[in-house]
Amino acid sequence: MKSLAVLLRKELHATFTSPIAYAVAAVFLLITGYTFSLTLFFTKVANLNYIFHQMYVLLILLVPVLTMRAFAEERRADTLELLLTAPVPEVWIVLAKFFAALVLVSVLLLASGVYAVILGLYGEPDWAPIYGGYLALFLLACLLVSIGILASSLTENQVVAATCALGACLMLWFADSAAYMIPAPLDVVPINLSLIGHFTTFVSGSLFLSDAGYHLTLSLLALFLTTRAVTDR
Amino acid sequence: MTASNEPTADDRPIVAIEGASKRYGSVEALSDVTLHVRRGEVLGLLGPNGSGKTTLLRMLTGYLSPTAGRLSVAGFDTERQRMEARRRIGYVPESLPLYSHMRVREFLRFMAELRGLSASAANRAVGEVAEQVALTDRLRAPIRTLSRGYRQRVAIGQALVHRPDILVLDEPTNGLDPRQIIETRHLIRSLAGERTVIMSSHILGEVEKIADRVAILLRGRLLSVEAMADTPNLEALFLSLT
Repeated sequence: MKSLAVLLRKELHATFTSPIAYAVAAVFLLITGYTFSLTLFFTKVANLNYIFHQMYVLLILLVPVLTMRAFAEERRADTLELLLTAPVPEVWIVLAKFFAALVLVSVLLLASGVYAVILGLYGEPDWAPIYGGYLALFLLACLLVSIGILASSLTENQVVAATCALGACLMLWFADSAAYMIPAPLDVVPINLSLIGHFTTFVSGSLFLSDAGYHLTLSLLALFLTTRAVTDR
Repeated sequence: MTASNEPTADDRPIVAIEGASKRYGSVEALSDVTLHVRRGEVLGLLGPNGSGKTTLLRMLTGYLSPTAGRLSVAGFDTERQRMEARRRIGYVPESLPLYSHMRVREFLRFMAELRGLSASAANRAVGEVAEQVALTDRLRAPIRTLSRGYRQRVAIGQALVHRPDILVLDEPTNGLDPRQIIETRHLIRSLAGERTVIMSSHILGEVEKIADRVAILLRGRLLSVEAMADTPNLEALFLSLT
């Protein structure tokens, strides 16, 4: 466990000293802040439903940029050889990168919590959908980060890693569209695989274990495949 | 009492490679290599580019898994007891991979802690190794600002910081200027005895000056292992074998 802490410290340092992190944070907070202000002034409704859906799209677009360096940069600079010949299990190297990126996304989500605070100060929002929305965004972040890290572990080109991760996330988002072309009962497969279907229930304030299970299962699968990709050499 | 013909702890090889092979699809990078290395000696792996030197070193460090055969380090199998084996090795890859955004002290401390040293022990070890590889005045420097020679010292420093039994160096003098080559040579020789050193090189003179024994590889096959003391003309031997 000590080695995991050492690796995590190194990854956090690399993440928070990277200009990419600050560029992504600036874009995320600027766009969500702008939309929050506009929505609040025009609708005068104390909820964050619209913002959550926008954050959902922004995370799908921005997380691949945050995770593209994870393994691709280590491969390019050959530093992965140093890590993989050190007496630490490969899964810890993967987990350290996963947690470091997740911490950064969580900081962004926490920073966006100021919108909820504003609603609480000046209105009477229904808190269940807000808590549900943040839980959904956190679970979504876990899934997106793990997919991004998986893509990064398969190439030494950061742009290729980001593009593949973005493609995979978009395919998951639109997976339910394929249900129109597939006869019943097989159509439930793309419907249940769809990212958006498991997100909207949370934002409406309904918490289902199946939705949490979907995010966690796919995240674990992606992390497992990443570990295999790193180990297989 | 020990029978005189039984091997003592010092006689047993610290590195044992038994029938190690490595295939990449249809390409055989290393074929049935058997080699034993004694404690405290400097072994030079000599061979042209593509002869399998780096593959052999990478298998020894656990970076690559053998397709066949087995390798052990200080009695630990590099596959079944990977962590134990890795703890006993310090490795300097040919490309000198370093985290350029870190400072020298930070990098050495990271590598020390990654290999299991406590924070205070790592700090002490960094000071000692910096002195050993003449880096004391560069500890605060960002790695990206260092010359090739200093980067080489940092790379050797990270390999020594956890006091490994075995130091594995892949082409340690590549890209260095003549003064740096001489300094690196002296450094490696100074480590011999205290540690086992296995280094690869495609330069005859390099191996001749540093190694106690030489293992000659060609197209993935081990052709010969000779003591330098018994090999007055390495060049002639190499030409006769290759």
